[in-house]
Parts: sequence; structure tokens; C-alpha cells
Amino acid sequence: MRESEFMMKAAAPNTENKQPQGLAGAVEGFKYDNRIVRAFAIATVVWGVIGMSAGLLCALQLFYPNANFEFQFVTFGRLRPVHTNAVVFAFVGNGMFMGIYYSVQRLCKARMFSDKLSWVNFWGWNGIIVAAAITLPLGFTTSKEYAELEWPIKIVLAIIWVAFTINLLGTLVKRREKHIYVAIWFYISTALTVAILHIVNGLEVPVSFWKGYSIYAGVQDALVQWWYGHNAVAFFLTTPYLGLMYYYLPKAANRPIFSYRLSIIHFWALIFIYIWAGPHHLLYTALPDWAQSLGMVFSVMLVAPSWGGMLNGLLTLRGAWDKVRQDPVLKFMVGAVTAYGMATLEGPALAIKTVNSLSHYTDWTIAHVHTAALGWNGLLTFSVLYWLFPRLYRTQLWSTKLANTHFWIALLGMMFYVIPMYIAGITEGMMWKQFSTDGFLQYPNFLQIVLQIVPFYRLRAIGGTIYIIGVWLMAYNLWRTARAGQFAPEEEAQAVSYRSQPVAQGEEAFNHRWLESKPILLTGLALVAVLIGGMIEIIPMIVIKENVKTIPSVKPYTALELMGRDIYIREGCLACHSQMIRPFRSETERYGEYSKAGEFVYDHPFLWGSKRIGPDLQRIGAKYPDAWHYNHLDDPRSTSPGSIMPRYSWLLTQELDITSLPARISAMRRVGVPYPAGYESKAAADLKQQAGKIVENLQVGQIKTQPDREIIAVIAYLQRLGTDIKLEPKATAEAGSGLHASN
Amino acid sequence: MNQLIEKLGGIEAIGIFSICLFVAVFTASMILAFCLKKPFLKAMGKLPLEEEQAPDKTSESNPL
Repeated sequence: MRESEFMMKAAAPNTENKQPQGLAGAVEGFKYDNRIVRAFAIATVVWGVIGMSAGLLCALQLFYPNANFEFQFVTFGRLRPVHTNAVVFAFVGNGMFMGIYYSVQRLCKARMFSDKLSWVNFWGWNGIIVAAAITLPLGFTTSKEYAELEWPIKIVLAIIWVAFTINLLGTLVKRREKHIYVAIWFYISTALTVAILHIVNGLEVPVSFWKGYSIYAGVQDALVQWWYGHNAVAFFLTTPYLGLMYYYLPKAANRPIFSYRLSIIHFWALIFIYIWAGPHHLLYTALPDWAQSLGMVFSVMLVAPSWGGMLNGLLTLRGAWDKVRQDPVLKFMVGAVTAYGMATLEGPALAIKTVNSLSHYTDWTIAHVHTAALGWNGLLTFSVLYWLFPRLYRTQLWSTKLANTHFWIALLGMMFYVIPMYIAGITEGMMWKQFSTDGFLQYPNFLQIVLQIVPFYRLRAIGGTIYIIGVWLMAYNLWRTARAGQFAPEEEAQAVSYRSQPVAQGEEAFNHRWLESKPILLTGLALVAVLIGGMIEIIPMIVIKENVKTIPSVKPYTALELMGRDIYIREGCLACHSQMIRPFRSETERYGEYSKAGEFVYDHPFLWGSKRIGPDLQRIGAKYPDAWHYNHLDDPRSTSPGSIMPRYSWLLTQELDITSLPARISAMRRVGVPYPAGYESKAAADLKQQAGKIVENLQVGQIKTQPDREIIAVIAYLQRLGTDIKLEPKATAEAGSGLHASN
Repeated sequence: MNQLIEKLGGIEAIGIFSICLFVAVFTASMILAFCLKKPFLKAMGKLPLEEEQAPDKTSESNPL
């Protein structure tokens, strides 16, 4: 059958044929738009393969550093954000839009508000992803996790997100179904919250078209970033997917949701609590304890609504478990909801301070994240794809057997991924803290611990490979399904608009039933629910100055150090190295004095990191001579045999571009760093003077290089780290320009 | 850290206020959910299924 035969007689996409059939109920004919759903579905599969493959390449580099082919653009630090952005925003993002565009039309009994906005959403979103895939390997990054894209792309992203939100809310306004189903509440909360998070966290002062500095510094920046980061998980990876669960699970099981009542409590409790939980990413850091405690308490409370939702999903299958044995769609859904339950039990456990003291910075977090990502997001996306493709193409799934095989392969891949990571995480956490009977660190050399973990990194890569093989099988199965069927670009439907129906008894009273018929009010209340937590945490942190105790000896970075810091950001060094020493004896013995909030007041952005594949660098300054850093960056294994750090040989040859230095100084001043007036004109001379001293130091170590190489700036930055608080107040008062260099 | 907390005025109030706020939201959502009538809950539960085959008798939404 030809594609056009599926189309309605009325050709214009948004034309809706009204067929009056009496005053009480005019049946209206209209068409659902399947083209946009298919476009997002294809993009989901394509980006899934790309994003997961990028992750696999990252995984390979963690036991075989040369897997970057000594090519700076695919080195771990730059590739990791490509992987995270591709799987989160490209794979899950497109999967989310696919599911939303299909379900919203049917739940509202209306075509999307605007076809144009739908396509702006599709091309804009995927254009942003392409821009990310180009700019992140080039080193254009803010360094903020899951918010790495630089300001011009962020602005486009905000515009595209607004287009999506208008399209969603517009469809609700023109809907024919009076009451808004629970899945759509979750979509609404996603649309609103992601917009707020993205804008608040993304505020920057531009330096150039591809560079900006966060308006927040240090502790405030960390809080805003992890308020964003955690809620990116909450409102991008969770709430829209809960919406998909509430729509597609009943569809696949052909059963209504277990308890609609429970879904109401689930929704309001979840969106209200989630927004508070961000500080659990910063436990035992320099963040004030009151914010840490709030984050911890609300994180623990999250178990209740999360498990309410999980049970609501699983109990929907009561009496239908026999279908699960046969139906791969249901298998994937059960796997996904179970993984959601496991991850949402583990997450609050990891947010308890004592547990977090062991798990933070370790691979335990990686295992936790991938239980959720591979399990909840991955398996649910696969289930929706397997459910949708036969419907879009008016045929049966090409091979149920292959889909079932995919399920078991995916499960096996997950096991091979997460189990080694759990073991690795607990192992490294305990080894970091282990003291000998003499009271010294049992494993004082960080590399000793890394070498224990490497075998688990190998197993993880095997797990990832297995999981990706499953995705390829799915892609083949879906492709054969599409070939066997005939795509239905539009789907004919009829419905009676609720506007032509008499008002039911009790409809006008204020209750949740009434609220479910008021999309704008529902949106407003959801907005209030998600705003409260963020405001209570962030506003006091910025307004109350006592939150960040100032340290007089802490001064702004010199021009050369600032340039070095920006290279550190470009290379993504914080993907492996934290800059936050927690107040534990095991950490102060290994790294030095624990980190103070006042040390980061000029850090735009903060660079605390979230993972220690390598050691913390907060007190690396003045620990080794300049020549050690030079040799280490050129070939890490020359100074640290067995190290899994990649070579940064390009830093030795690439010239330091200081044309943007005045703009950088100026932008830093605008965000509050007290560089002296007119320093822009003196900065280059200062930079050259400091670079010259480093070159002289290197000559002592028999290293000949030029002062205008990038590695000189990186060495300057590393040698400055954590040294300010060691300076005597008297010395700092003598610093003429208000800046002091480490060399 | 403790010294820092002592200087931060009203820290206890922030925590207590936050928990009270959650209890209020949770209670309100419970009241709203339990005030809903069974026919409405059943109808809403079946909303995604309207274009599919009608569910059998064992699959009615649980009026929890």
C-alpha cells in the first residue's frame, strides 16, 4: 500500500474537519501526526549507537590510554562529555520526544498544536546535538557536567526548548479530552523545570563566541551546578520517562494503571522533593553543612514517591505476568521499572553522608548511574521503540525472537557493566581510606589503587560492548520491520470535544478532577512546586555572606594561570581529577589540608569534579618541580609507571593564543574577580614574565622549550593550585598588583 | 564547619520549614487523591486504552 493511501482525504496537515452531529456532541475528525514521531524514533536509534560507542571508546582508554590514537579531539577528557551529552540529550532526549509526541496527541485527542513547532523542535534539537558533537571534541566547554555546551548553543537550546513547551501547552489548550492524564503532568513538569534549570545554571559572561565564564563562583557555582545536574537526572531522565511508563505500560499490557490515585500522590511528592536533592552531590565538600543536610534528608525521602511509582508500574502487570514471558516489549518494561526501583533505592542510600564518604568520587557512582541509564532509560526506550515501530508501519515486529534475544543481551551487558563497577568502587573507596597498623596510609601511592581497578575497567568495556551489540540487533530488527510494513504518516481519528459536552456533577468543585481539566493552573502549581526547593537552597547560599568565609591570602589567578586554567577546562581534566579535599584524615594525609569555601571565590567556574580516576589536585601546587609536570604531561608513564592517564603531547607544541587574554580578564572582572583597573593592558607582559621563569626552571631539569607553549600555562596553573592558604598574611599584603604567582 | 553553622542565622528554621512544607504538600496531594470518586479514577485509568482493545474484567484500576 502506498504511503499516501494512509493519509486522510483532507490534505492540509493541521486542517481539522468538523462534522456537526447535533448540539450535545459534535464529532470532529482529525489526524495524528506520525511523521514527527518517526523522525524522533530514528534519531533515537542513531544517537543511541553513536553515544554508546563514544562511551565504549572512553571505557577503552581507561585501560589502554593509547586508544585516543594520540589525537587530542578524542582523548578521554574531551570525549566523556560527548558520550554523556549524546546518551542523555541525544538518545534519551530524542526517545523522550518520540514518546511524548505520540502519546500527547492520543491522550489529548488532538494533533500537535503546530507542525512547524514540531519540526523546529526536531531539527533544532538534533542540530544542537551535532553542534555539541563538533564543539566538545574541539574543547569548547563550560566544564559543568551535563551543561558543557558553550553559551551560543545554550541560547539556541533554550529557544528550541521554549518551542517544544509552547507546542506541548498549545496542544493541551486545543485538546478534546477534558481531563489531562497523569503522563502529561510529568511532561509538563519536565518542560518547565528543564527550562528553569538550564537558564539559571547557564548564566555566563561571554569572553568570545565560544567561551564564557559562569557568573557564579566556587561554592555557589557548585550548588547551582549540582542543583542543575541532579535535576537533569530528575527532570530529563526520570519525569518524562515516568510519563512514558504511565502511557506505554498500560498500552503494552492492555491494562489500566494499577492505581490512578497513587499516581497523583506519586507526581506531586516526586516533583516537590526531587528539586531539593542536588546538594547530595556535594557531601563533605566546602558546601555549608545546612545545605548538605537538606540535600541528604530530601534525598532519603525520595525513596517513598519513587517506589510508589515503581510499584504502580509493576502492579499494573498483575494478572498479566504470563504475557511478560512472551512479549519482549513487556520484558523490557519490567526490566526498566525494576532498574528504576533499584536505582531509586540506591540513590538515597548513597546520599546518606556516611555511605557517601565511601562512595563519592569512586566507580560506585558510575555503577549507580549506569544501573539507571542502561536499565531505566535504555530498556524503556527500547520497549517503546519495539511497541511503536509496528504501529507506525502498520505491521508486526519483524522478529519477536530477535527482540527477546536483545533483552537478554542487554541484561547481560548491564551485569557485565555494573557488577565490576560496584566492586571497583567499593575497592577503591576502601583502599583510599585504609591505614596501616602504624597509622600511615596503607596505599599512599594513588597509582597502586588505580592498578587494582584496571581489570574491572576491562570487564566494564566488555559489558558495554555486549550492550551495544544488543542495540545493533534492535536497529536491524526495526529496520526490517519498517521494510516489511508501510509507514502511516498520518492517522485518522475522531472524537467529541469535551467543550460540547455538558458539565458533569461535581466537576466545578475544587478537587483534583477539576485541576486535571485546567492545564494552565496545573502548570502553574507544578512550577511553584519545583521552584520552592531551588529557591530555599540557592538564595540563602548567595545572599548570606557567612556561607563563604573569605581568606585574605586568596587572590585572583595571574594571567598565565588563568590561561592554563582554561586549557585545563578545555582538556576536561576534571573528568578524572577532583579539586576538593574532604575533611577526612585519609584525605588530608594523602593530599594535604582540606578544602575551604573561601579558596574558590575566584573560581569561575568551580572545578571540584565528581570522580577520581586520578588523584585530587587541590594541593598539587608546589608539590613537584615544573620539570616533573612537563614530563608527566608529555608522557605520564615516564614519571608514573603504569599510569592510565593519556599523553598530552600537543600541549608541548601548540602555541598559547593570548589574543583573547584582555577579554578574559575583562569578563572575569565582570563576574566579580577584582583584577586591577587597566590590568588588561598589562596582563600580556605579566604572562610573559611568569612564563619566562617557568622556562628557566625547566632548563634546570634539562628541558628546553619556548615560553609561548600551552604547557607552560598549564604548569603555571597546576603550581598555583591550593597554595594561597599557605601564604603568610604579611606576604600577601606586599603583593603589588593584588595577584601572586607560584613561580 | 560547625563554627560556620553557628554563625549562619536561622539554619534550624530552614530545615524545619522545608520539612513542614513537604508535609503540607504531601498531605494536600493525599487529600485531593482520596477525595476522587471511583468512577472518575477508573475512567482516567483507562484513558490510554481507549483506542486499544477493551481491557478484560480483571484489569480494572485498583481503587487504592
